[in-house]
Amino acid sequence: MPDQKLIKLKINDREVQVPQGTLVIEATRRLGTEVPSFCYYPGLSLQAACRMCLVEIEKAPKLQTACTMVATDGMVVRTDTEQVRQARKYMLEFLLTNHPLDCPVCDKGGECELQDMVFRYGADSSRFVEEKIHRPEEKWSELVYYDAPRCILCFRCVRVCDEGMDVKALGVGMRGANSVIIPNRGDHLECEECGMCIDICPVGALTSGTYRYKTRPWEMQYVPTVCAHCSNGCKTTLSVRNHEILRANNRDLSGINGDFLCVKGRFGFDFTNHKERIRQPLVRRGDKLLPVSWEEAAQAAATKLKAAHDAGGKEAIGFIGSNRTSNEENYLLQRLARATFGTNNIDHHRTADYAGLITALGDRAADSLLTMEQLYRSKAVLVIGNDPSNQNPLVAWQIRSGIRHFGTKLFLINANEIKLKHKAQQFVKIAPGQEAAIFKWLAHEEGQLLTELVEQLVQLKAALEAESDLAIVFGAELYGAAIATLVAFGSKLPGKARYMALGDYSNSRGAADMGLLPDRFPGYAYVGDPHAHESFEKLWGCGPIPTTPGLTAPQMVEAAQSGKLKALYVVGANPLVHFGKLSEGRGKLDLLIVQEMFLTETAKAADIVLPAASAYEKDGTVTNTSGEMQLVRKGAEVMGPRSDFDLMRILSHQLEKLGLGKAFHYKTPGAVFEEIRKAVPACNVPLAGLLTGGAEATRAQFSRNGHAPYDIPVGLIRSANDTLFTSGTLGRWCTMMESLPEADT
Amino acid sequence: MELSPKLSAKFEKLQTSYPVKRSALIPMLMYAQDEFGYISDEMIDEIGRRLDLNNVQIEETLAYYSMLRRKPMGKHHVQICTNVACMLKGGYEVLQRAKKRLEIGHKETTQDGVFSLEEVECIGACTGAPAMQVNYDFYENLTPLKFDRIIEDLDAGKRPEPEPVISGALHDRNVLETPLISRRWGMKDSHKLDVYVMQGGYQALHKALKEMTPESIIEEVKKSSLRGRGGAGFPTGMKWSFVPKDSPKPKYVICNADESEPGTCKDRPLMEMDPHQLIEGMVIAGRAINSHQGFIYIRGEYRYVLDIVDAAIAEAYAGGYLGKNIFGSGVDFDLLIHTGAGAYECGEESALMESLEGKRGYPRIKPPFPAVVGLYGCPTIINNVETLSAVPAIIREGGEAYANRGTPKNGGTRMLCIAGHVKKPGIYEVPLGMNMKKFIYEVAGGIAEGKKLKAVIPGGSSCPLLTADEIDIPMDYDSLAKAGSMLGSGGMVVMDEDTCMVDMARRIMHFYAHESCGWCIPCREGTTWLRKTLERFHAGLGREEDIDLIADLAKNMLGRTFCPLGDAAAMPTISILKKWRGEFEDHLKGRCAYKSAGALVGAR
Repeated sequence: MPDQKLIKLKINDREVQVPQGTLVIEATRRLGTEVPSFCYYPGLSLQAACRMCLVEIEKAPKLQTACTMVATDGMVVRTDTEQVRQARKYMLEFLLTNHPLDCPVCDKGGECELQDMVFRYGADSSRFVEEKIHRPEEKWSELVYYDAPRCILCFRCVRVCDEGMDVKALGVGMRGANSVIIPNRGDHLECEECGMCIDICPVGALTSGTYRYKTRPWEMQYVPTVCAHCSNGCKTTLSVRNHEILRANNRDLSGINGDFLCVKGRFGFDFTNHKERIRQPLVRRGDKLLPVSWEEAAQAAATKLKAAHDAGGKEAIGFIGSNRTSNEENYLLQRLARATFGTNNIDHHRTADYAGLITALGDRAADSLLTMEQLYRSKAVLVIGNDPSNQNPLVAWQIRSGIRHFGTKLFLINANEIKLKHKAQQFVKIAPGQEAAIFKWLAHEEGQLLTELVEQLVQLKAALEAESDLAIVFGAELYGAAIATLVAFGSKLPGKARYMALGDYSNSRGAADMGLLPDRFPGYAYVGDPHAHESFEKLWGCGPIPTTPGLTAPQMVEAAQSGKLKALYVVGANPLVHFGKLSEGRGKLDLLIVQEMFLTETAKAADIVLPAASAYEKDGTVTNTSGEMQLVRKGAEVMGPRSDFDLMRILSHQLEKLGLGKAFHYKTPGAVFEEIRKAVPACNVPLAGLLTGGAEATRAQFSRNGHAPYDIPVGLIRSANDTLFTSGTLGRWCTMMESLPEADT
Repeated sequence: MELSPKLSAKFEKLQTSYPVKRSALIPMLMYAQDEFGYISDEMIDEIGRRLDLNNVQIEETLAYYSMLRRKPMGKHHVQICTNVACMLKGGYEVLQRAKKRLEIGHKETTQDGVFSLEEVECIGACTGAPAMQVNYDFYENLTPLKFDRIIEDLDAGKRPEPEPVISGALHDRNVLETPLISRRWGMKDSHKLDVYVMQGGYQALHKALKEMTPESIIEEVKKSSLRGRGGAGFPTGMKWSFVPKDSPKPKYVICNADESEPGTCKDRPLMEMDPHQLIEGMVIAGRAINSHQGFIYIRGEYRYVLDIVDAAIAEAYAGGYLGKNIFGSGVDFDLLIHTGAGAYECGEESALMESLEGKRGYPRIKPPFPAVVGLYGCPTIINNVETLSAVPAIIREGGEAYANRGTPKNGGTRMLCIAGHVKKPGIYEVPLGMNMKKFIYEVAGGIAEGKKLKAVIPGGSSCPLLTADEIDIPMDYDSLAKAGSMLGSGGMVVMDEDTCMVDMARRIMHFYAHESCGWCIPCREGTTWLRKTLERFHAGLGREEDIDLIADLAKNMLGRTFCPLGDAAAMPTISILKKWRGEFEDHLKGRCAYKSAGALVGAR
């Protein structure tokens, strides 16, 4: 933001200095003076409809709405006079005339803005003796219910659906005192089911199908954590009663997402108590997986792994990690592979080429990676590939908010007519897979493109060159050497360019950062880098780690099928489906061990299955796609499963007993995090922010890819192509999302 | 879906007529309803496709306007007005007769689908009260007997000749009148271009385009001390001068022809009998602010007037008074007439602009004012029909001469409608500043049936009422303000000694509760609360504390609502309570001592 002129005004005899253009209501909030309001909602258009914020302004003939009045220098405002108190009191009296006083059975009771305001500013009795307007409650979808009499018509829901979500599924019906909110399909909703309307409703007019009538707000504990689904890292606050998650929202606006959550973040927690959760360790007996004790399972896993190691050597065993487990767990898994088993055969399902971006940026990486906040405040945004509205909802929200609040210019290069198109200044339609060629042309004017396309690119380039700062956001379409070309193009622009690679799952970035890669240590140090070798070998007190890259995930599955790989250890992943052919099953593997929440195809084929806790059932840290690290906290408790941290710790002890590697002596995930912060300077983030629920940007380090130019083969980066209603393999057990009719379209 | 060739052509034209497509929404809905009787789901899809709107955008707009409906009504939709002027003259008797005769209630349809009935708010026929509309046809000066005859004719497949403003506007001139903008009323074919031109029409436009600059036009209008005739009385020249000259955006001129203030029916004959005068005024206004596009927003009920004005616009284009390079001056001006669909609130200038943009007629936050940010976010001036109709005369005879017809700061003449209990209800053009008592007794013939005067609504139902002792005052903006009321929109309603003032308060509040847009809490909830309380009170179920409660609720709305509608509802209520409190106390004693009380409310 450019420096704004400051002005001074007086509020209730106290002087306050605010930037020019500040609304009086915001100025009062700076002083901690409450001016009540229903319709005023920061970030949404102004309405001045609820009239709750009427204040006295010197020289104005009548009371003025603080939410529309812009503060001016020398203005004198009073919010505490008899006239103002009367106005509030009688406004609430009007409001309560048609509002049912069913607070005892209303879901919102205890956290209702109207209740609070009447408590603070209302009258002690009602003078209304006429009949109230009554209407039956309406069910608009599995998730959204509308109770018209409770509605105070603040129109927040209509605005957030239109302005915020760009969905426009809600409107206002009828007129006058009969006005109601109406859904877009007559008697029901067809929308993104994000639930923003429910969340933003100050009263109990819009209630949630999954939460209604379950509990009272004061009976729950509130656990702030990070959404378990996509890679955007939205803060979601779990409302938990008796260890069970009943609701998720972010009403305190504390995260990088403010109050934004999509359907997954708000409703996609029901997998935690799905009846198909694995609750006991399973061991294969013939063609069956049978429950066994933890002791038996752990011993079996260690014994068989030791045997596989002894028989086939380092190269005959592979590890495939998860893009949903915590940084600490990822770190432990790669330590298990590299230190205990001495192999670089470790990878995960990569959905974005983070290593490619960080390599291409080199020593500029630390200040050229774009955070979510910077995305919102960028003057211009270029999105290449991906469909943020569906695959990266927070990214799309940030872009839309920027356009609305700051007039951000949006430029798109895409093979599909994605939803953001109608918000874009320019949309360059390309052929599928043409992304790399486009940037070759943009960066170096190399290659043959159709004249028509070239004309569009010339126009795009000129527009981008005129921008002083540009956010460049790209999907899985750009990877390997093409990212270097993109960065070459960005570097030539006169303005500052910052980059964000869009991956798919909640800790995809953390998986890459923590070295779940066959060629990279934690922090992206190349496995051939002698300095990195020495420090990690010393840190882990282990023998030599190979200096050449191990097998990638697709290569491991291929090697399993050809018989080159004898044992595969899988954590929270489904590689037999993602990288293999299901018909070939586990191939010629002698041993397959899986840590999982559900019996995925890979788990079903395993010899040993260890039941794992979900992200909502453990502590740790995760890193979102823009490299911002946040704490995840244990909200729910599910009987049976253990966190992957626990599972690997147990396994390491068993292996040590058998003479393989060193046991992990970390008592908590926090202890692992301490080690990560020392071993990976990028992760040495300020703790204060992290511990108070903030997101801290990791500062990625320059890391050379040996001597060869960086590139990766086609097919290694695979987008999950999730929609708003799918979430990779996990989505199959999100019953609520699956049940929505919109999920089929 | 299948559309008739006529409707299809209408749609095609509407879709391309506006700078922003969505503006065509309300007219399209109205014309579609004319053909199909209602708006079906398929029609919503059809219009949505044509205007790139989603269903909820259309549904919510449609739901706002009282004339638009989602279910079929009768072939003959009978709409009976019971608002103040009609009520005083027996509107409720006609409504009761209709219910009995048709055997249906409010918003119901006869089983054969031939008739449907609706009690409606003021339809702008106050001087011919009681009045009704059958579809778009007006019938005035009704009695239960006359109503029966109309229904019999309709039943027999005949269309009784409608009565455009005959009773109200075409009367013998009173010697005290000074017809200036109404001087062509009653002339044969006064709405035609050749008659207008023969009468000196479009000479002012010629002068404005050929001899004057935009600045000098505004200067002349300022000199005329012309003040807005819609109700607020803002100086017109000053309003025009607020339009930024350096704005690169297009500028618009809007004529507010949404005349809906109860008691007011002057704009209807001004457009019906002299549409070219309005067109000429608008082109001059366009020249004054460098605008090239004008809109006339006319209330939906005035469909026959719309057709007359539309034909006049076509004539004006053909005659070179509209379109490109008017009089070879290089000045271009286009004009479009746009229909509303039943919403009093759309008479508020910013709500009108929202409506003209195809949305619900919610008022906008001010500032910014329309002169800076108006229609489509562009600088816009919006003036009442009468205001714009006065502009040709001002340019023709000079601002000073026009001003001299009135009193200082209150220039010119004023169209005044007088309805209710007077001998000669009508629409009269008198100099501003005429004495009100003189107007009532000498121009309108005094109180009918030899009764005594009790109360006067001076300029539309939102003005505080005056008692018989308060009317010896000049009728101009400032004098009325001094008397604690307003000149308003020129809709005067006179009540005789038998009138029940509690009933009057009830009927006034009924109107504002019906028309409250629902945007802000105090108006939305306050008007409905007051309506319910006044209905109960008038029906004989009042409590002593209700009297203070009514006054208090009105005061709690006053000055705190988003737009002036809340004040409009509060002010007459407060004045009635203050001046006729005794009648409220009488009601508590069990019975209403006056006419038209009690039973009629229960009958609804």
